[in-house]
Order: sequence, then structure tokens, then C-alpha cells
Amino acid sequence: MKHVNAIFYKQLKDTIKNPAVLMQFIIFPLLAFVLTFLMNMERMTNDMLEALPYGTDVDMVLANMNASMPNMTTMQATVFAGMGLIPIVASIIAEDIEKKSLRFLSMAGIRPTAYLVGIAGVIMFVSLFTSAAFSLIAGFTGLDFIIFTAAMMSGVAGSIVLGATFGIMTRNQQAAAGITMPIALILGFGPIMAQMNPSIARFLHVVYTQQLNVVADYLTIGGVDTPLWQSFGIMWANVALLGLLFVLVFRRKWSIE
Amino acid sequence: MISISMKDVTKSFGENNVLKGVTFDTHEGEIFGMLGPSGAGKTTIINILTKQFAADGGEVYVSASSNEMGLMLEHDGLFPRLNCLENLIIFEKIYGIPHSRSIEALESVGLAKAHKTAVEKLSRGMRQRLVIARAILHKPKILFLDEPTSALDPLTAQGIYHLIKELRGSGTTIFLTTHNMQEAVNLCDRVVMLHGGTIIEQGDPNEICDRYSAVKTIKDLEAVFVQLTGGGLQ
Repeated sequence: MKHVNAIFYKQLKDTIKNPAVLMQFIIFPLLAFVLTFLMNMERMTNDMLEALPYGTDVDMVLANMNASMPNMTTMQATVFAGMGLIPIVASIIAEDIEKKSLRFLSMAGIRPTAYLVGIAGVIMFVSLFTSAAFSLIAGFTGLDFIIFTAAMMSGVAGSIVLGATFGIMTRNQQAAAGITMPIALILGFGPIMAQMNPSIARFLHVVYTQQLNVVADYLTIGGVDTPLWQSFGIMWANVALLGLLFVLVFRRKWSIE
Repeated sequence: MISISMKDVTKSFGENNVLKGVTFDTHEGEIFGMLGPSGAGKTTIINILTKQFAADGGEVYVSASSNEMGLMLEHDGLFPRLNCLENLIIFEKIYGIPHSRSIEALESVGLAKAHKTAVEKLSRGMRQRLVIARAILHKPKILFLDEPTSALDPLTAQGIYHLIKELRGSGTTIFLTTHNMQEAVNLCDRVVMLHGGTIIEQGDPNEICDRYSAVKTIKDLEAVFVQLTGGGLQ
């Protein structure tokens, strides 16, 4: 436990002092806020309503628009969990490797699991605030708030472990950014594409970001076939598999170095 | 009592035979110097002794476990955005030692006043001293120092020599590598000379000099500078 505590301390201090990392936790909710509230300006709505064909049920259009606003927020939340966090975690670990700090930690007795849990603890802790900001913008309260937070934390956990695996595999931060970005884009934007294409949705069914989006849809627009327990089950199965992959890669990397 | 022992150790990287049957012993509480030019195999020996590499052949014995070793290696491994004290607190938590040890370690290397300075803002000499503070934080049984005064000004180097001698006084075995022969004469109880992966000479540095009639009188500007400035870490 003292090893996890040491890594948690190191990462918390480092995150607070690293504006590039801190910004990632702020920019996505900020974007959701802008999209949700600034796009909902009265003038813009009036312009859109004037462009509607004669005879359209305006009240229904307005109701649909208002209903879809939380969904726009949760889409941003999925992009944050899937796309934002993977490069962050990979970059944190790649920096520790590049600067040889991880070697000193390892030689002082830090095990791969303690290192990962310490880093993940900080990222999840900071992500809790980001998730709460998304909930606030989407207007989730009570049980919806709890379900959304739990889903977000599950998605965040998946991205942390995947980012950590890429971070361990690479030798420096530049390489980490290069290798993680395409994967992060697919995981972050995949669920948005899945909303437009059922084949993609079927293909991505076993991926944690898709299930995060499914839970978000359940809370916002409804009409979801997948039960909540199944979505959470898939997300945590992803986390477990990726965690196993991380430990294998960490050990292999260490035996080579 | 034997603290470190290598017997007929070999190590290759591909076609490159870096160590070709290296044999030596170090004793508890001594300053042991590994001398040789760059590429002689000094860092490889430290990496083997600190269990970062395995030797290809031969026997290796180190009387301390990994967390009983203090390390100052080629790369400092410091966390650049964290300040000096925070860098030590991480290891204080890992070793489960009281917070006062971090303060003591910073004081012993003359960095107490800079404890809130971020590592990325430290000079090279200050970074080097912080690395030593981290290495001695948990009062290790064996301290490995890889080129501890390379690229340091004479004054800072003198301060580090003084600190190393103090540590020896407290019973710590110090294993250092250097290509600075004068440093070895001033500091080490015993040395081995490494060349091309083979030990070419070993023993008391003064005796080695006598053996080869290599005692000479030189105009030592470094000594004058130290005398004029009073020496020590500032």
C-alpha cells in the first residue's frame, strides 16, 4: 500500500504542475458546455425554426432538440474517456521511461501493479471532477448521476490501462503520442459513428467506449436494447483483459531492459 | 567482510564483448573506485551489480538487497516538474522512512534552501547533489555512484568528495566509477583499473602510483581555487 501511496503522491503533484495534462480534463466538458448552451441560443433556434417546412410541428421539434442536448454532452464524455485519456496516460508513463524515473522506482521495489494503481488512482480521481462537470451540464441527478459516474469511471479505467500499455511499449513521449492517437480516435469517435451505422455498432459492441455510450444513451434518449448490467460487464471485462496485457508488457519490457 | 564480489564475469552486447572475465572484491565500509576511460565497461559493471542486467558468465555477489542500495546512475531519473523535497518524499514513502530523513538528506548535500525549487530549474551541479540526497535517503548499505562528479565545477566536486568520505565514516560501502584518476587517488581506499573490459591493475591507489613511480608534483590550480574559496557546498 505504501508503494501505491508513493506513486499516487508523485502523480498527483505532477498532474497539478503539468498544464498540458490538466487541460485535457477541462477542455472536453468546456466543449460540451459550449455545444450545449451556446448552440441553444434563441436566435439560432429561431433561424432553424424559420427554415422548417410549412406545417411542421414546431413544439415537437423543440422538444426533440432539448432532449438531444444531454446526448450531445454524453457524446463529449465518451470522446473524453476514449480519446482524451489514452494519450495522457501513455505520455505520463513514456515520460517516466524516457527520463529513467521508472527505472529508479522499479529498483526501489515498485511493482508494475503498484505503479499502475497509483497512476490510475490519480487519473480516476481527477476524472471524477470532469465526470461531475459532464453530469452537471447534462442535468443528471440522483440515480442517473450515479449510473453515469459509474459508467464514466469504468470507461476511464479502460482507457487508463490501455494508455499505460502503450506508454510502457514506447520509448519516449513523442512515440507514445504517435502510437496512441489513431487508436484513441477510433475508440473516442467509434461510438459516434456507431450511432449512424448499425454495422459499426455491432462491431464495436464488445468495446468499452461503445458500452459507455450505450449507458449514456440509456440515460438520455432511451431506446437501448443492451441491459445496464451487460454494458458494465463488458466494460469491466475490457479493463481486466487490458490489465492482464499491461502486466505482461511491463514484465517483458523489464526483462529486456 | 566482503560487500561486493565479481568472479570471472563476462558480458557481451551482440558482437561486442564488454566484460572479459572481470574479478574483484570490495570490503564493507570502503570507498572502492572503478577507473577507466569511457567505454571500458564501468557502467556495465554497475548495471550488473544493481541487477539491471544479468551477466553472461561468472559469479556475482552483492551483500545488499535492491532496496538496501543507493544509486546514482548515468541518468538522474528525477521528476522534473516536482521540487527537490517532493522528489525525495516519493522515495521516503516507498522506503517507509520518516519525513525528517528527507530534510536531513537535503541539508547534507546543501540543498535545504532550494527545497522548493523545481528540478527543471536546478543547475547541473544541484541536480547531481539532489541525486546523491536521494541515494543516501534510506541510509543504504552500498552506494553506487556512476561518475559522481562528471561535469561539475571543482567546488561542487569537493563538496561531494567530503560527503562521500562522511558516508564511508558511517559504514556505507561506496562503489564509484570515474575516469578522473586524481579523483580516485584523493578519494578511494582501493581501485581497479579497467581497460577494454579487462582489469589491468588493482589495489591501493597510492601504492599503485608508487609501484609505477608515477608520483609527480604538479601545479594544482584546483587545490588553489578550493583553498581560496574555502571549499564545501554552498
